[in-house]
Amino acid sequence: MSKKEDILARYRAHVRERFDRPVLDDIQAITYPDPLAQFVRMSQTVGGRVVEAEGNINDLIRKLFPEAKEIASNLPEITIATRNPDTVESARALNGTDVGVIRGCFGVAENGCIWIPQTMKEKAVCFISENLVILLPKDRIVNNMHEAYRQVEFHDYGYGTFISGPSKTADIAQVLVMGAQAARSVTVVLV
Amino acid sequence: MSTLHSEKAKAFLQDEAYSQWHDNTFWSVRTKRDTMARGLPEWEQLREKASAIKRHTVTHLDEYLDQFATNAEKNGVIVHWAADAAEFNETVYGILKEHGVRKMVKSKSMLTEECEMNPYLEARGIEVVETDLGERIIQLKGQKPSHIVMPAIHLNHDDVGELFEEKGISDEKGNHDPTYLTYRARLSLRNEFLTADAGMTGANFGIAATGDIVVCTNEGNADMSTSCPKLHIAAIGLEKVIPDYECLAVFQRMLCRAGTGQPTTTYTSHFRKARAKDAEMHIILVDNGRSDWVGNPDHWEVLKCIRCGSCMNTCPVYRRSGGYSYSYFIPGPVGINLGMLRNPREHSGNVSACTLCLSCQSVCPVKIDLGDQVYKWRQELRALGAANKGKKALCDAMSLMFGSSGLYRTATAVSPLLNILPHGLVHSGVNPWAEGHEMMEFPKKPFHSIFKDLEKE
Amino acid sequence: MRIGLFIPCYVDAVYPEVGTATWKLLRHLGLDVSYPENQTCCGQPMANAGFESQAVPLARKFEDKFRDFDYIVAPSVSCTAFVRLNYERLLKGHECRTAAKAMDVVEFLHDVVKPTGPLGRFPHKVSLHNSCHGVRELGLSSPSEQNIPAFNKIKDLLALVEGIEVVEPERPDECCGFGGMFSVEEKAVSARMGRDKVLRHIATGAEYVTGPDSACLMHLSGVAKKQGLEIGFKHVVEILAAGL
Repeated sequence: MSKKEDILARYRAHVRERFDRPVLDDIQAITYPDPLAQFVRMSQTVGGRVVEAEGNINDLIRKLFPEAKEIASNLPEITIATRNPDTVESARALNGTDVGVIRGCFGVAENGCIWIPQTMKEKAVCFISENLVILLPKDRIVNNMHEAYRQVEFHDYGYGTFISGPSKTADIAQVLVMGAQAARSVTVVLV
Repeated sequence: MSTLHSEKAKAFLQDEAYSQWHDNTFWSVRTKRDTMARGLPEWEQLREKASAIKRHTVTHLDEYLDQFATNAEKNGVIVHWAADAAEFNETVYGILKEHGVRKMVKSKSMLTEECEMNPYLEARGIEVVETDLGERIIQLKGQKPSHIVMPAIHLNHDDVGELFEEKGISDEKGNHDPTYLTYRARLSLRNEFLTADAGMTGANFGIAATGDIVVCTNEGNADMSTSCPKLHIAAIGLEKVIPDYECLAVFQRMLCRAGTGQPTTTYTSHFRKARAKDAEMHIILVDNGRSDWVGNPDHWEVLKCIRCGSCMNTCPVYRRSGGYSYSYFIPGPVGINLGMLRNPREHSGNVSACTLCLSCQSVCPVKIDLGDQVYKWRQELRALGAANKGKKALCDAMSLMFGSSGLYRTATAVSPLLNILPHGLVHSGVNPWAEGHEMMEFPKKPFHSIFKDLEKE
Repeated sequence: MRIGLFIPCYVDAVYPEVGTATWKLLRHLGLDVSYPENQTCCGQPMANAGFESQAVPLARKFEDKFRDFDYIVAPSVSCTAFVRLNYERLLKGHECRTAAKAMDVVEFLHDVVKPTGPLGRFPHKVSLHNSCHGVRELGLSSPSEQNIPAFNKIKDLLALVEGIEVVEPERPDECCGFGGMFSVEEKAVSARMGRDKVLRHIATGAEYVTGPDSACLMHLSGVAKKQGLEIGFKHVVEILAAGL
């Protein structure tokens, strides 16, 4: 027998009573009168910043990050990008990115999560950038994770993540610090 | 009749200021968790559902594991099975050797701690770099985690500051500000991410319906670990597999709320395929006792655990004794129970480290009856030959006295009951009760004597 | 309605005044209460220490003494919880008529007798000690861990006492650290938990700590005296029956 069969046989020999799957569609999950307002509130709670798109998106990013030199994006409308995660030779070449600009599919009101399926060759751009800008359609906010998981879709790449605010840690003496290993700031631009 | 835990706890409590800080810190996490729980009107319903999903899944693992592995393989992932820690370590090493890996970055995984993977690989010339900040700190310090979610909680910022100076991670001597230290660690780890040949992650969940593994972190280190190298190895215990996204939504909502009191982890990442055509993703499914534990009629439900750590945070004994007082590498209520499943003789000292207050099972997001199980383990110690002799002698004496009304009456008439009990406790003549307590003033008459007069009134 | 009064061993031997208050209170409310002779211990101390089999003969004895009552009422949440939750299992193969009828005096008064009129008079500020087994096994109050509507049966009853002011300490249902054998096996942790608890009660400005279990109070008063911390201790029934 293969290792798999060995382990499964051992399991079957030991498992006792088998329990049925519970009904889950009766969960009375929280909803919000204004999901967008709740989403904005939660984004701020988790350390993120939310701005409304106005005028040209490139001008807005320049205004938000006047010091930024290296801007990485594969989005066609980001004309100020100096790097493209689709065409860089390797993920390592994205190190030193000041601002990464990506697109989010939808946001979740209860916790500020944004679903980001990988749509670029190097997903590193989502994490390696010092500052991350996520463009999010403001009419695509769901109430909670139950609704969210009904909408999750992947693109060609087999990776996707929910991001809620900047990378953070409290591992040193329980003091909350933004910017552990990944993006030190997250700005959600509602479009 | 002091246990190893009680001796270590006593030493832990010697440092008054630190032990109070430890208690307050974890209580504040518990308080944040309470705020989150109260923020969702459906919280108790979610606990019911989470428990029921896990009961179902843990008792149908053969089906879900097969489905998970089949779907992962369809996605091009290479799936391995390991019966125990040794097989797991050999499998990891085999993959790394085949790819000529010299350095591997990894995100937090209690499973690799359980299998003691790092020393195994290091002995074979592979550098393993922990990338969760807390794990990295204790790795540099040569220590083990003292909490499953906050592994370096036992160290303060000065400890970390001095460590970073010694290791050349920070260069401003005496700057022990956590923000500065975190920034220095970021720079140091960034270099590791860029130069590693492989990335390893654990998994909070495996999704049978899609073959995804789901990893939840606040730091983004699992994503960083897998963004540059061409090789990703995921280590996952059998019990981590759940049916589908509908179930995942329940756990995603609870894991972080219960564990750290945040509405979500910063990153909830789904890994379904290798990250490029010339890259590989491996999943190693590890048994290491789990297929036996599922057959334990009193204790199989411990397999429901999602490792949120909330039972530790609420445990009044954990908060006042610290993770290192327990003999098993997972401390607190769930650790007491997991240790007993792993090796009851070695870890029986931990089962006394519980007042049976039952806060753990009242907190647990998947409703494991953790305190009730500690009670059951206590009953099993005698059969395991691990019962304390002094305690048994005392209970024999109590049973004899309480079993006979005559003896009981004589005892309470001649000398107060509590004087007899502690005396029987130890044969050294020391009264252990009196070490922490002023002895009570005993009444002239017990109630059963007074009652004769009461009745007449 | 015939009520059997169960006075657990340590209440009998160390806190007879709690037994007296319970008796007086139940009689004051006009209840048909009797106290079976030759009762001793429910077996909890041995069972919690890991010697459940030692509790079996005591469970049989208890069953003999109390099975014919409509209610078995005790001024101790942990003993009551032990009987209610374990006796059926301990007496397996034999009929168990006591488990379902065992009630702590607080829940008995609150749920069955439902007194509305004034009880005792106790013109003091009192800090409420919510014993773990009362909270999490008998449901005397909503556990702080759970998101359910808040309630507290002890508070409800104390509201019937004249002149009293009832407060709760910070961490209102954290364990005091007694835990039976735990208090001698894990002396250091137990004493620290006890001290922390006493200090939180004192911080409320209360003159007394009151609770539904004399074992917790015994532990706390022992710790308080040892450490020179001043606050009084009274079982809930002593306050409910004060001046009756």
